[in-house]
Amino acid sequence: MSDSSFKDANNRLDSAVRGVIERAQANRSMLRMVLVFVAAFALFAFLNPRVFLGSLNLQNIMVASPEIGVIAIAMMLSMLTGGIDLSLVSIANLSAITMSTMFTAMVTGSGEFNEAMAVPVLLVGILVGVGCGLLNGVLIGIVGITPILATLGTMQILNGVAIVWTGGSTLYGAPATFTTFGKLAIGPVPMLFAVFIVAAILIAFLVNSTTLGRKIELQGANPVAARFSGIRSKAVLIGSYAVGGALGGLAGFLFLARNPTASADYGASYVLLVIVIAVLGGTNPNGGFASVAGVVIATLTLQVVSSGFTAMRLSSYQYAIAQGVILVAVMVIDAINWRKFRNKRPAPMAATGK
Amino acid sequence: MDIRKTLRKLQGRNNEGTLLLVLLAIVIGMSLLNPVFFTANTAFAVLRSATVPMILALSVLLVIISGGIDVSFPVVAIASAYTTVTILLATGTDVPMVVVFAIAAAIGAILGLVNGFVIAKFRLPTLIVTLGTQGVFFGAMLTYVGAKYFPELPPTMAALSTVNILDFTTAHGRANLHVLVLLAIVATLLVWAVLKWTMFGRSLYAIGDDYEGAHRAGFRVVRTQILTYVLVGVIASMAGVAHITMSRAANPQDLVGGELDIIAAVVLGGASIFGGRGSVGGTVLGVLLIQVINNSLLLVGVPSAWLRAAVGILLIVGVGIQAVSARRKAQRVHSVEDVMDLTVAQRKEA
Amino acid sequence: MENEPVTSTKPGGDERSPILSVRGISKRFGGVQALADVSLDLYPGEVHCLAGENGCGKSTLIKVISGAETPDSGKIVVDGVGHSQMNTTSAIESGIQVIYQDFSLFPSLTVAENIVLTSAVAVQKKFYSATAAAARARAIVDELQLDLDLDAEVGTLSVANKQLTAICRALVSDARVIFMDEPTTALTHTEVKRLFELVDKLRDRGVSMVFVSHKLSEILQVSQQVTIMRSGKVVTSGPVEEFDTRSIARHMTGRDIEDVRIVSDLPDEAPVQLEVEGLTLKGAYWDVNFNVKKGEIIGVTGLLGSGRTEIAESLFGLLTPDHGQVRVEGERVQLASIADSVSAGIGYVPEDRLTQGLFLEKSIADNIIAGSLNQHRSKWRTLDFRKVKATISRLFEELRIKAPNVKAPVRTLSGGNAQRVVLAKWLATNPKVLILNGPTVGVDVGSKEQILELLREQAGQGMAIIVISDDEPELVSCCHRVLVVTKGRITDELVGDDVSVERIQESMAA
Repeated sequence: MSDSSFKDANNRLDSAVRGVIERAQANRSMLRMVLVFVAAFALFAFLNPRVFLGSLNLQNIMVASPEIGVIAIAMMLSMLTGGIDLSLVSIANLSAITMSTMFTAMVTGSGEFNEAMAVPVLLVGILVGVGCGLLNGVLIGIVGITPILATLGTMQILNGVAIVWTGGSTLYGAPATFTTFGKLAIGPVPMLFAVFIVAAILIAFLVNSTTLGRKIELQGANPVAARFSGIRSKAVLIGSYAVGGALGGLAGFLFLARNPTASADYGASYVLLVIVIAVLGGTNPNGGFASVAGVVIATLTLQVVSSGFTAMRLSSYQYAIAQGVILVAVMVIDAINWRKFRNKRPAPMAATGK
Repeated sequence: MDIRKTLRKLQGRNNEGTLLLVLLAIVIGMSLLNPVFFTANTAFAVLRSATVPMILALSVLLVIISGGIDVSFPVVAIASAYTTVTILLATGTDVPMVVVFAIAAAIGAILGLVNGFVIAKFRLPTLIVTLGTQGVFFGAMLTYVGAKYFPELPPTMAALSTVNILDFTTAHGRANLHVLVLLAIVATLLVWAVLKWTMFGRSLYAIGDDYEGAHRAGFRVVRTQILTYVLVGVIASMAGVAHITMSRAANPQDLVGGELDIIAAVVLGGASIFGGRGSVGGTVLGVLLIQVINNSLLLVGVPSAWLRAAVGILLIVGVGIQAVSARRKAQRVHSVEDVMDLTVAQRKEA
Repeated sequence: MENEPVTSTKPGGDERSPILSVRGISKRFGGVQALADVSLDLYPGEVHCLAGENGCGKSTLIKVISGAETPDSGKIVVDGVGHSQMNTTSAIESGIQVIYQDFSLFPSLTVAENIVLTSAVAVQKKFYSATAAAARARAIVDELQLDLDLDAEVGTLSVANKQLTAICRALVSDARVIFMDEPTTALTHTEVKRLFELVDKLRDRGVSMVFVSHKLSEILQVSQQVTIMRSGKVVTSGPVEEFDTRSIARHMTGRDIEDVRIVSDLPDEAPVQLEVEGLTLKGAYWDVNFNVKKGEIIGVTGLLGSGRTEIAESLFGLLTPDHGQVRVEGERVQLASIADSVSAGIGYVPEDRLTQGLFLEKSIADNIIAGSLNQHRSKWRTLDFRKVKATISRLFEELRIKAPNVKAPVRTLSGGNAQRVVLAKWLATNPKVLILNGPTVGVDVGSKEQILELLREQAGQGMAIIVISDDEPELVSCCHRVLVVTKGRITDELVGDDVSVERIQESMAA
C-alpha cells in the first residue's frame, strides 16, 4: 500500500516536472526574445551609455514603437488563424486619412467643439479599420480566397483609394487633442506607449481567455479539424480579421497622434517589417501558435537595435542589415534545434500517416 | 464530350484562355471607345513599360511554381545592376553590353545563392527568409556600394538606352519599340523552354506540388531549390540592368517596394501560391493585362492613381471566381461512387 | 557499402531463386528494437502478404529495403548480390518500388508526367520531352489494358485511378518488386476487384508484390505467401494455405481473439434518442429510416461507396440531404452545418483521425476542449478555467489516456491513445448521439477492445451510439443492432442473435 502511494507521488512529481519543462519549451521563443532584448539593450548601453541611456532616447523608443507594435499584433492575430494580412498598413493609412479629412472638414472656430469631436473622430477611424477588416474576413472566410492573395488585393484597393482620395499628397490636420495626447506622458511613460500596452493586454486576453481566442488558435492549428469540432470557421475568420482591422484603425490614430499628417504611402516599409516582428515574437507563420508578449518584446528589441544604431551613429541602412541578419539567424537557429529534437524522438504516429 | 474537351483545352490548365478573353475584350472595348488606343504607338508603349515587370515576373514565376514566395527579387535586381554601374563608373571602364549583363548576372547569382542556400539547407519558409535577406541585401548595397543617384550611365549603356528596333511616325506621333523589349521576349522564351523541356523545369513543378513526395521519388530537391534561387537572381539582375538602361539613370532606391505588384501579376496569370501550378503564357498575359489597363485608364481620363485599386479589384475578382468555382465543383454530388472521390478531394482541399 | 555474392538459402525444395532476400535485419531507434533479425524471401510472380499490427515493424522494414533507413545489421540480397544497406537510388535501380498509401503523386502534373518523371530522374536525365513521355506512358497503360486519361491532371482523378497511376509509374522504372502499403483501404468493392485483376497480370510479368495489410480476408484472397510480424520480429511465414483468418489474427496479436459479443440488455421502454425519417440525398442514399434508442449501440455497415459514410456525414451536417427529417429526443433539428449538429447534441468521430479529428501540434488538453468551448464559457463570454480544468482531468483519467500529462502534444501519442483523445473531445460536449466512423482503424488490437469497452460504458450511461464500420467482428462485439446499407438504401436490419459475422457478410453480399 505504501509502495503504491509512493509510486503515485513519484508519478505526480514526474508529471509536474515534465509540465514545467514543457511549458518552458512552449515559451522558448519568448525566452529567446527576452534574451536578445536584454543582450541588445546591454550592448548599446555599454557601447554608448550617455546617448543610449539618455532619457530622450528611451522616450523615443517608447514613442516610436507603438504604431509598429500595434500593427505587428494585428499581423500576429492573422497568422494565428493560419493566414497573413498584408493590408494592415493600408488600413492604418486609410483610417488616418479619414480622420484627418473628417477633422479638416469639421474644423470651426470653436476650440471646444474641436476638442469634443476628438472621440467621435477616433471612433470613425477605428470603424474604418473594422470595416476593412470585415472585408478581408468576408473574402477569406466566405468567398474562400487564400489570405495572402485576398489581403494583397485589399492592400492594393485600399492603398489605391487612399492615393485617389489624397491625390497622392500629404494631408495636414488632426484634432489638437490627438497631438496633445501624443505628447502626454504618465511619469516617464508616454501615453502612446500606454495605449500600445493596453492594446497588447486586451489582445492577449482575447487570445488566451476567451472562446473566440481559443477558436482562432484551433482554426490556425488545423482548419479541417476545427470545422469537424463544430467551430464556425467563417465567423472565427471574420471576427479575427475584424479585430485586426480595428488594430489597424488604432494604428492610424497613433500615426496622427505622433505627427498630424496623413498620406497614402506612410509606413510602406512596415508591411514586411511587421511580419518580421511577428515571426521573431514566436508566431508560427503556419498558424496555431503565437504569443502577444513575444510580439511586444520583438517590437521593442527591433526598436532598441534601431535607436542603438542611431546612438552609435550607424546608418539606417546598416540597421536594415542587422534586422535581416537577426531574422534569418533566429530562423536558422530554430531550424537546427528542431532537427535534433525530431531525430531524438521519432513520432510513433509516423506509422499511421505523415 | 469532345467539344467539352476542346473547350477545356482552350481554357488552359490555369485559365489562360479566360485571361486572354478578358485582355482581348479590354483591347476591343478600348479601341471602340478611343481609336487612339488601337495604334502602334500604344502597343509599343505598353510593350516598353511591360519589359522590366515581365522579366521580374518570370523570376517570381519560377519561385511560385516551386512552392515558395520571394520578396527579395526587386532588391536583387537593383543591387546587382546598381553595383555593376557603380563599378564601371568608379573604374571609368567601358565594356560591351554583354559584359555588363555578365557582371550583373554574377552578382545576382551570388545573392540568389544566399537565398537558396538558407532556404533549402534549413528548410525555412521562403517568405520569411527572403524578407530577411532583402533587408540585408538592400542595407549592404546602400552601405557598402553607395546610395548615390547616378544621372549619367557608362557610355555603352547610355548608347543602348536610345536604340529602338522599330521607329516610325504615325498619325498619332512617333512610335518606337525599344530594343530591350527583345531581352524580355528572349527571357520569356528561355524560361518557357526550361520549364517545358528540361528535367529541372519539370522537377520544379513536382517539388512545388509535393516537397516530401518529390524527395521520396528521388528528385534532388535541395539542389533544384538552390539552382532555382540562383536562376531567380540571374533573371532579376537582367531586369535590373534593363531598368537602369531604360530609365537612363541609376537610382539605388528604384524597383524596391514593387514586389507585391509583380507577385499580383503572376498570380493573376494563374500561378498557384501553393506551388506546382503556373505557366509562362499566363504570366505574360497577367503582366500585359496590368499594363494595358494602366494605359487604358490614362486614355479614358481616369487618374492613374486608380491603377492600384484596379489591379487589386482584378486580383480579388479573378482569385475569388476561382475559389468559388472550386468549391462549387467540390460540392456537386453525382453518384454513389463519385461522392466518395469528391469528399476525399474536398477534404484534401480543406 | 559492400557487394559480395551470396548464395541464398532456399526454402525447402523450392528451386526458384528469390529476386530479393532480406537476411537477419535488425534496427534500433533509441531504446526501441524496431526490427530484430528479420528475414524475408520474395520470389518472382508471387504476392507476399506482410501482416502485423501497427508498430510491429512493417513500415520500418519497407523503409530499410527501399533505402530510406539504414539497418544496424543484416543483409539485403538482390539477385544474389548482398548489400549491407540500400539507398533510395540503388533500391530503385535494383527494381524495388514502394507505393505508399498517399501514392506520392504530383497532383498538378498529368498522368503521363507522373508515370514517367521518376524514372527520368533516376537516370539523371537533363531534358524532357512531352511526346516521348506520352509514348512511354501509353505503352505501359496499353500493356496493362487500363483506362487512364494520360492528359488528365492527377489531382482530378479518383483514388483508384491514382493508385493505377502509381502502379504504372513503378512499372516504368522496371520494378520487379513492388511494395504496396494498405492498397485497398480507400477503394470501393469494384475497384478492389479491378486491382486484384491487375495484380494477376503483374504476376504473369514476373513481378513480385508485397502487400502490407491488416484486412485479413483480403490477405487470404490475393496472396501466395504470408509473413506475420509482431514487435519487430517475424513470428511466422509460409504459404497462404497454412493460414486462416483466425490463425493470422492470433499470430498478429499473440493471443486468441475470440468473437466476443458483450451487449447490454436494453429495456423495451427505452426512449428513442435519434430518429431518422425518409432521409434522401440524391446520388448518395435514398429514403433512409432508422432510430437509435437511449443506451443503444447500432452498427451501420456496407461496402465502401454504399452510402453508409454519406448518411453519417449528413447527420453531422457535412452534407445537406435533399429531404427527410432528423429528430433528436423527439425534437426536429435542422442540420445545415457541423456547428448545427454539435449544438443539437450530435458528435462525430471521423475515420481520418489525423486530419479531421485532431490538432496534432496542440496539447491533449487543447484537443479535449476543442469541441466544447461554448459550454465552458462564463457569463462574460470568457473561458471558465476551473470548469475547463475539471473537464480535462476528468476525461483524461476516465479514458485512461496514456501520456505523461495533458500538456503533451497529441502528435506524440499512439493510434489508440489519439483515438481516445478524439473520443474525449466529444464526451466533453455531452453528446446525446455519438457517431463513430471506423472507430478502431489504425488502432492496435489491444487498444481496440478497450475502446469498444468505452463505447459500451458510454451507452450504459444513456448515450445513443452509431458505429460505422466494415470490421464485422467489431460490430458483432458491441452492437445491439446492425443496419446493412447497399447502394444507398438500408437493405437489412440484424437484431439479437442474427448479429454475427456470417450473417453480416451474407447480408452485404446479397
